[in-house]
Amino acid sequence: MSFFRKSISNSPEPKDSSTTTETLYLHTELLENIKKIKEATGNSNDVVIREMQIGKSEKLLIAIIYTDGLADKTVITDFIMKSLELDIDISSDSISKKVSQSLKDYCLTVGDAKDITDFKTLYSAILNGESVILVDGHSVGISASTKHAKDRAVTEPTTESVIRGPREAFTETLRTNTALIRRKIKDPNLWIVSRIVGRVTQTDIAIMYISGIANDKIVEEVLSRVDRIDIDGILESGYIEEFIQDNSFTLFPTIYSTERPDVIAAELLEGRVAIFVDGTPIVLIVPALFTTFIQSAEDHYQRADVSSLIRILRYVGISIALLGPSLYISITTFHQEMLPTPMLISIASQREGVPFPAFVEALGMELAFEILREAGLRMPRTIGPAVSIVGTLVIGQAAVEAGIVSAAMVIVVSITAICSFLFPSYALSNAIRILRFPLMILAGMFGLFGVVIGMIALTLHLCSLRSFGVPYMSPLAPFIPSDQKDTILRFPRWAQLTRPRLINKKNATSGTFHKNTKKRK
Amino acid sequence: MKKKILFLLFLCLPLFLSGCWSKRELNELAITVAIGIDKVDDQYEVSVQIVDPGEVSARNPSANRTSVNVYHAKGKSIFEAIRRMTTVTPRKLYFAHIQILILGEDLAKEGISDALELFVRDHEIRNDFYIIVSEETTAKEILEIITPLEKIPANKMFNSLDVSESTWATTSTVQLDELANQLSKKEKNTILSAITIKGDPKQGIEQSNVQKIDAPAKLQYSGLAVFKQDKLVGSLSEDESKGYNFLKNKVKSTVEIISCPNGGQLTTELFSAKTKVKGKIKNGSPSIDVSVTVNQNVGVVECNIDLTKKETIDLINKETSESIKEKIHQTLEILQKDYKADVLEFGEAIHRTDHKEWNKIKNDWVQLFPELKINVSVDVKTRGLGTMQNSIIHNSKE
Repeated sequence: MSFFRKSISNSPEPKDSSTTTETLYLHTELLENIKKIKEATGNSNDVVIREMQIGKSEKLLIAIIYTDGLADKTVITDFIMKSLELDIDISSDSISKKVSQSLKDYCLTVGDAKDITDFKTLYSAILNGESVILVDGHSVGISASTKHAKDRAVTEPTTESVIRGPREAFTETLRTNTALIRRKIKDPNLWIVSRIVGRVTQTDIAIMYISGIANDKIVEEVLSRVDRIDIDGILESGYIEEFIQDNSFTLFPTIYSTERPDVIAAELLEGRVAIFVDGTPIVLIVPALFTTFIQSAEDHYQRADVSSLIRILRYVGISIALLGPSLYISITTFHQEMLPTPMLISIASQREGVPFPAFVEALGMELAFEILREAGLRMPRTIGPAVSIVGTLVIGQAAVEAGIVSAAMVIVVSITAICSFLFPSYALSNAIRILRFPLMILAGMFGLFGVVIGMIALTLHLCSLRSFGVPYMSPLAPFIPSDQKDTILRFPRWAQLTRPRLINKKNATSGTFHKNTKKRK
Repeated sequence: MKKKILFLLFLCLPLFLSGCWSKRELNELAITVAIGIDKVDDQYEVSVQIVDPGEVSARNPSANRTSVNVYHAKGKSIFEAIRRMTTVTPRKLYFAHIQILILGEDLAKEGISDALELFVRDHEIRNDFYIIVSEETTAKEILEIITPLEKIPANKMFNSLDVSESTWATTSTVQLDELANQLSKKEKNTILSAITIKGDPKQGIEQSNVQKIDAPAKLQYSGLAVFKQDKLVGSLSEDESKGYNFLKNKVKSTVEIISCPNGGQLTTELFSAKTKVKGKIKNGSPSIDVSVTVNQNVGVVECNIDLTKKETIDLINKETSESIKEKIHQTLEILQKDYKADVLEFGEAIHRTDHKEWNKIKNDWVQLFPELKINVSVDVKTRGLGTMQNSIIHNSKE
């Protein structure tokens, strides 16, 4: 299977138990267990251990252990403590022998309850917000689902805004996020595979795909790459992205990330695989192609002709963002004969008295802009206007009036800057912005020849990339005629009945998913 | 593997040695817009007109400074003169944006081929500029005239030539490749537009020339200049120039004036003209058929005629046709009898139709051309009358 390149070569040995070296089973003595738990958590005061006696005639010592803040206290008092105190009668022998089973069967009025036999699962249950009930004299505990994390509400997406389309974005909670997708795709074939990654953080990861549409090979590949991750902590999906991407030494993102559920749903329907990470609203989707990064969710909600034109505009924007300054440099310093005479004279008049070569001028302006942009991103929101005023005045006006830069250069740099904000994907715009600089250096040294050589190298690089085995530049290179319907142009929906070929090979026709699955059965 | 990559990186290093090889910053260039070449006692005198970009741009031009400067230098060859000029020019001359090349009258009389050799050979020079010849003055003087409206005189010359060719048809734009092509032939006959100074050249070089509403000195295209064997032999008048353009199928639009039967005159506007030249040889004697098809509108009516009648339109067509025919004959007369120069490339036309017969007569062509029989037919169609039918002014009397 050379099609799938293994990029993580130094795969770590299969994971064993993380911090404790061997499995420790629960003791029958309740006090012993409590002591152990206190030791292990270092007496942290948010791990609450509530000891109590239950039973009407015969008293039985039990302990309820939960983490304050993660578990829902009202659930614990209302559905665990109250029911334990009220209902149980431990007089009969049969009950006292299998106390955990009977507690589960008769007392606990919570949704999800599991048996616990060892300390490792106990800790993970407590730290996930579940409540654990330990009974004296039994080495089996019960964990009850009382999860209540402080959730952020589902809000509007902040980075990918649309005029027409759903207004919801993912939150930091994994379950909310998967639910947002379930709400859109109500099909039992929408499968979720769970993984826990991070030795210390024990982060939940969900890999979601539609069975029967997604390419099994890609699903397997995703799972195997995720399983190979061995790291202390996963705090954001970016951690996962870096581990599972095909090629680390590229500026281009080979994994698409979004905070929009509708985008994820659409990609799942095309046969892609989504990776949810608990604690971040950014969800990854693979395989991601170059053209995916230029498409906005809105393209699919607007009229086809309008979105086709807007997409073309975006490609023009990419070209300007990438080549704007380098073309300006090379034409004004090497190929003046290419300019119409009146334009040459006009630019020359602006350059009268500018002390720097065009290349240095462009580099300085681009740097100044990048600094301003980064400052605008990082600084506290309240002082934002101050920076933008200084930026506009210093770059836009003062520099020109002082004769340090020419007005034409300011125009070129600002057009370029605006064009770099045109992409729906921030990751791609980063790549383009960085590549602008080497191209400018090539332009400053070799003129248009340098720019052309740079572009050839860039094209070669892009064509060599793969995202989970799928060529990055497809369906442009290799050229797939049937996939052109949603690449540069967006065809009307009725003309888009087939799924992308390289991503999914099983059900080519997107209208006939269930017909096909029935046939196979 | 690592060694290989390192080796490749080392291979890339020499690339950077070249540095910014042919880099030219815009403010290090003297943008040359016009070149004039004169011949002064066996030496070429080259004049260049360079732009001062700061003065041309709309933003804060300083007063009392001209927007272009002219530099001169003499040399045994043009190249030498241009290089000698670096001792006076403030920046390196940049020739890619030449708009116009003026050949001085004296030079033109002695032959222009040698002067053009550099422009054909050099790589920096684009070949989309127009070549003209100065009449009754030197190229140097032409370049020194300050022109109103257009701050760059070269632009004025370029635009005037363009516009007058396409709407008045007495001038002809000739670019370098076309000229070089004609000069490479055996006869070396060609036609260039001639420019002259109308008014007092002394006042033309003063800034005051553009401070008056009616500039005392202006640059004007006076018609076409005829070159035979690479040398200037004479010029064509306005009507003859128009006739020449008809013969060369170069008329885009022009006006014709015809006289009305009851006195007065009528002006028509030609908006398309197509000329077909066909050569033939019968019994060893060559002849040429020229057929011109013209479409026109009625422009101005200064007489009392009824335009609603078909007969009137027929009359207009016939009169216009006569008028054009007369111009063409006038041109042919002067070219055949006076200059004896086949600038119309009729020889080529005969060659195209019958190359065997042409080979027999081609050596005698110079003698044959003046006696060549040329049949001219002009077909005129009047398509429109403008925004009204009969003239209000002239018909109101009745």
